[in-house]
Amino acid sequence: MYKVDFTDFVGGSLLTLVGAAVAIVSVTYYPMGTLQRMGPGMFPAGLGIVLAVFGIILALQSLRRPGERPDIRVWSPLFVLGGIAAFALVVSPFGLIPAIVAITVVASLAELRVRPLSLALLCLGLCLLAPFVFRICLGLQIPMFRWPF
Amino acid sequence: MEILGNLGLGLGVALSPANLLFCFLGVLLGTLVGVIPGLGALTAISLLFPLTFQLEPTTALIMLAGIWYGTAYGGSIASILLNIPGSPSSAVTCLDGYPMARQGRGGVALFMTAVASFVGATVGIILLTLFAPVIAKYALAFGAAEYFALMLMGLVAASTISEGSALKGLSMVVLGIIIGLVGMDTQSATPRFTFGSLELLDGVSLAALAMGIFGVAEVIMSVRRVSPADIDRDSVSFKAFKPTRDDIRRSWLPTLRGASIGSFFGALPGAGPSIASFLSYGIEKRVSRTPERFGHGAIEGIMGPEAANNAADQTAFIPTLSLGIPGSATMALMLGALMIHGIAPGPSIISSYPQLFWGLVMSFWVGNIFLLVLNIPLIGLWVRLLLIPYRFLYPSVLLFICLGAYSTSLDALEVWLVAVFGVVGYLIRVLRFSAAPLLLGFVLGPLMEEHFRRAMVLSQGDFMVFFDRPISGTIMAVTGAILVWGVWSESRRERRSKSRQLPS
Repeated sequence: MYKVDFTDFVGGSLLTLVGAAVAIVSVTYYPMGTLQRMGPGMFPAGLGIVLAVFGIILALQSLRRPGERPDIRVWSPLFVLGGIAAFALVVSPFGLIPAIVAITVVASLAELRVRPLSLALLCLGLCLLAPFVFRICLGLQIPMFRWPF
Repeated sequence: MEILGNLGLGLGVALSPANLLFCFLGVLLGTLVGVIPGLGALTAISLLFPLTFQLEPTTALIMLAGIWYGTAYGGSIASILLNIPGSPSSAVTCLDGYPMARQGRGGVALFMTAVASFVGATVGIILLTLFAPVIAKYALAFGAAEYFALMLMGLVAASTISEGSALKGLSMVVLGIIIGLVGMDTQSATPRFTFGSLELLDGVSLAALAMGIFGVAEVIMSVRRVSPADIDRDSVSFKAFKPTRDDIRRSWLPTLRGASIGSFFGALPGAGPSIASFLSYGIEKRVSRTPERFGHGAIEGIMGPEAANNAADQTAFIPTLSLGIPGSATMALMLGALMIHGIAPGPSIISSYPQLFWGLVMSFWVGNIFLLVLNIPLIGLWVRLLLIPYRFLYPSVLLFICLGAYSTSLDALEVWLVAVFGVVGYLIRVLRFSAAPLLLGFVLGPLMEEHFRRAMVLSQGDFMVFFDRPISGTIMAVTGAILVWGVWSESRRERRSKSRQLPS
């Protein structure tokens, strides 16, 4: 337990930052126009201010009550997101099959233990299934292998 | 007898081979993801969302809708056999369904919930058929001010009524609208928040957003938390399906009550199937002459809620299709699918695309019959699916999310966007916000801005336009009342939790 509701304090502060950034960018870069003929900047600027105000209220409220410790894990989310990033990096230069292997291997690490046999089976299964669904059923032209050099 | 002609038209569309096939696929997939804990309807719909771009709009919607109501059937299977709600709306079914399974009556419970679901859905479909066209006819006279007011009401209701803090819900709506602003401004052709990227000129794609904040974030939250459980195989053998005469006598009134509760709450924005099923359980317990049986395998306790959540699944389409106001994130995805096919949401959908509306409505019936027929013989298969370890499941889900994103434009940027929104979705869950209002804001945001600007042009910059006109004034008053109620109930809850903490 914390003395203040830390979860809401962080949430409120983040919202305030995003809201303020949106409002500042809209005011500086996009024409405001008049209320009758609104320019592209007016609506976003208004929304940014509203979001920032909501964030400030949320953060202030959180100071008045105790809160539980938020449940944040580091490694599992990183491996899941890392898997997606690996797919995004590999698929265009190297083709579909290497990308499938990359995402499966990296994402499986999110379990925080390695089971080589079941991982190999899963890779094999997905490499057979995914191209079947996307190439044959949907007719998408994604190359299986590619050598960029 | 116009309605009979329309129903005939719809039946013709729904029974065409392609639509039948995709309706079947939709409900099958829906049941599948409903059964598996850690995979929700939203994950499934957002995952399959890019695949429907190639389909006809009607077929696409039929399939997506099939997934949505299919999960309610599947969710009850996991609830009864495992005591794990496969989907939030079937959480109540655990209370009496799991004790029934423990008593060796799991088969009866599964069979009877399938029947209750079918009855509930049928009532919902009838109401949808009767009311949606009437509402749409009135709504055709709406102007820009009325539309803006309606959308505002939908968003406020969805974010304050549903769950947790009203302020947090509203912040998510605003954040969603802001994400929806990314791209070219339609009226002045100014690129906004694109960071100089050409790909972002068209805006953030709904598929990438939904797959990130629901699919990826859901996987992150469930990794290492979901484990397959053991099931008593005897309780689901074929012999165990036959309900006793007593079961039937106890069931029919709760089913009808549940269906009416569900129909009402399904049509309200922000309420939806989960609230409807909880309310129905409470009411059944209150009207029962033997409330002590509840929680120990009372069949009334599963019939009411199951009828309620399926009826709500169907009536949720009333505001979505007749007004263009989605009441939940799933309905927002349905509207998004329509918009991608170039169909503008609003009251004109029913009159301009009758084959789409009536085809969809009739496909609900076809789909529910599929579900009734599917559920019983396939229970053995579903049970086996529950035994697949999550470590096989989640990398496959992630892969299909990435492939879906990549296939929309064959551009790795889409995949990166999914990852970014995955982070956003994870933060939203960790910081205890809810992601559904964000998606609603995202879908409605661009339309709201357009109507707001148009109303301001017509009123020459006078804000009173939203309050002067009788219809939009009424809607704004209701919105204000919902807001006040939301803030009041929140502060009351806070005071109560404070007074509970003091003695300790």
